[in-house]
Amino acid sequence: MNPFFMEITFNPNAFWKYLQYPFMQKALIAAILIGIICALIGTFVLLRGMVFLGEAIAHSAFAGAALAILLGLDPLLVIMLFSVISSISIGYVNEKKMMKDEIIIGVIFSFFMALAILFISLMPVYSTDVPSILFGNILIISPNTFNLLIFFSFLIIIVIFVIKKELYFMTFDEESAKVSGIPVRLLTYIFLVLVSMTISVSLKAIGAILVFAMIVTPAAAAYQLTFRFNRLLLLAGFFGVFSTVGGLYLSVAFDLPSGSTIVTLITFIFLISFIISPKRRLAHLAHLPTECPYCGEVIDEGSCEDPDCPQSDTPHSHVAHDDHRRGDVVIDKRKLPGKTPSTHEHKGP
Amino acid sequence: MTTKTEVDTFSTRRSLTPLICINNAVVAYQNAVALANINLDVYEGEILGICGPNGSGKSTLLKAILGLVPLSHGTIRFYDKDQQELTCVEYRQDNNLGYVPQVHNIDRNFPALVEDVVAMGRYAQIGFLKRVKKSDPYIENALRLVGMWKFRKRPIGHLSGGQQQKVMIARSLANDPKIMLLDEPTAALDFRIERAIMDLIHQLHQNQNLTIILVTHRMSFLREYTTRVVCLDKSIIWKGEPSDPKLQTIINQLFFQ
Repeated sequence: MNPFFMEITFNPNAFWKYLQYPFMQKALIAAILIGIICALIGTFVLLRGMVFLGEAIAHSAFAGAALAILLGLDPLLVIMLFSVISSISIGYVNEKKMMKDEIIIGVIFSFFMALAILFISLMPVYSTDVPSILFGNILIISPNTFNLLIFFSFLIIIVIFVIKKELYFMTFDEESAKVSGIPVRLLTYIFLVLVSMTISVSLKAIGAILVFAMIVTPAAAAYQLTFRFNRLLLLAGFFGVFSTVGGLYLSVAFDLPSGSTIVTLITFIFLISFIISPKRRLAHLAHLPTECPYCGEVIDEGSCEDPDCPQSDTPHSHVAHDDHRRGDVVIDKRKLPGKTPSTHEHKGP
Repeated sequence: MTTKTEVDTFSTRRSLTPLICINNAVVAYQNAVALANINLDVYEGEILGICGPNGSGKSTLLKAILGLVPLSHGTIRFYDKDQQELTCVEYRQDNNLGYVPQVHNIDRNFPALVEDVVAMGRYAQIGFLKRVKKSDPYIENALRLVGMWKFRKRPIGHLSGGQQQKVMIARSLANDPKIMLLDEPTAALDFRIERAIMDLIHQLHQNQNLTIILVTHRMSFLREYTTRVVCLDKSIIWKGEPSDPKLQTIINQLFFQ
């Protein structure tokens, strides 16, 4: 055995053995809830292109945690306060277009990190809570934190389902959403608060450094696999729960830290979905869409097989040029010798 | 309200009920004036073309009408079918405004099918917590009107620019609007597609009884498709019929001097 490494033992039954104890039951419930809320919120964070905003919130949450430890307060509420302050202030600067968002995110992100280090240095004795906030430990959650976690998780899930379709529209096209009467500004701030809450409640389990992976990665893995929004949410939720529960199981079985095990597992899931992604297989069609002058069908798979095409009396197929940009229409001479497709219009019912 | 001369120059084939009255509207960003002293009525059933060079405030005027930018001065009033005066927010709530933005890059992998994008147009109408039905007749109707029904199951990012724009038009139609506002709907499209989109807009205007406000700087479109033209350069330089020979002079002044 290499003396520089700890011996890794695999104890597959440890998880089930401990599951009869309340601490493990709590950890399991926390893992499931965190898996769900991170994935739900993460889907929107990913689609809205706010990945680094989340990173900034996670670091401000760490500063909140350090202050709570310094003052001996309940960490979750202070964490939440800090992360809400940072997300709202970034959101405000973004809304007013005062500067590029990456600038304000950079400033806030480093400021809160500095605050965190200041708070830690002010502690008379180095608290063991600091590494637990930094790296997370889902197995030690205080009853108070656990109750708050349950409360906020349900709150987040309910609010997300209430504003789901409106957020989806805003994500796709904010201006049009505003015109159609959706309260875009209000929903943006509600969403920022939800992101802050999600990061705050997940901090204890996964740690300030890694919490952001739980937001981005399940959603990113699901994003590789579907074009449907509801399926994306479901898949992301499934990946989130699978990785938190699976990570918890592995961390107990191998006696590893929970946060890093969970993040390693979800990253594996991401890699697999990236490799098998149908979207990447479709990528070669990216430069093909063009309309057939005869039937208006998009030339992407080489032939026009639309049953509604009125040009069906003249069988034709599409052959892509070498540059893959325009298609030639080829008439099936065997079926209809001497006939050429006429220009025609598609009529509605 | 309308002056006598303005009524005379406006095509008499159309009804003369104003749907929108813009009075002394000024839009200023910080210290720069984007639009000054705009007085304009929009009548039911017309296709109003707004033209002007870049930075002349065309899009700002459109956004002011849509209530997306606040006025620094002046008013924009809307009138419903009972001639009742409404603010933009009230008017928008009745889903009377349809908006088609400029062609913008849609992420190829964005998780939305064509029918999902058109369904977005119905979201505000059906309210929170409710879902848009798969068989919503408005969505089918809108998609058929723009000829995109058979593409409904395709991811929006996989369509060509022209097709995406047709979907955006379908989305704005999904609410059965009275007025449709289009912000350079054919910018960044090639000539053939451009014409197809403009023909579609013209067809919708004829068949759906729509009033259309169209921002464009293509002279040929102004002549062929609009019933009235407004030339902008921070303020209104000229308004009149597209067949008026003065239009060419004004355009030359605006763009080439």
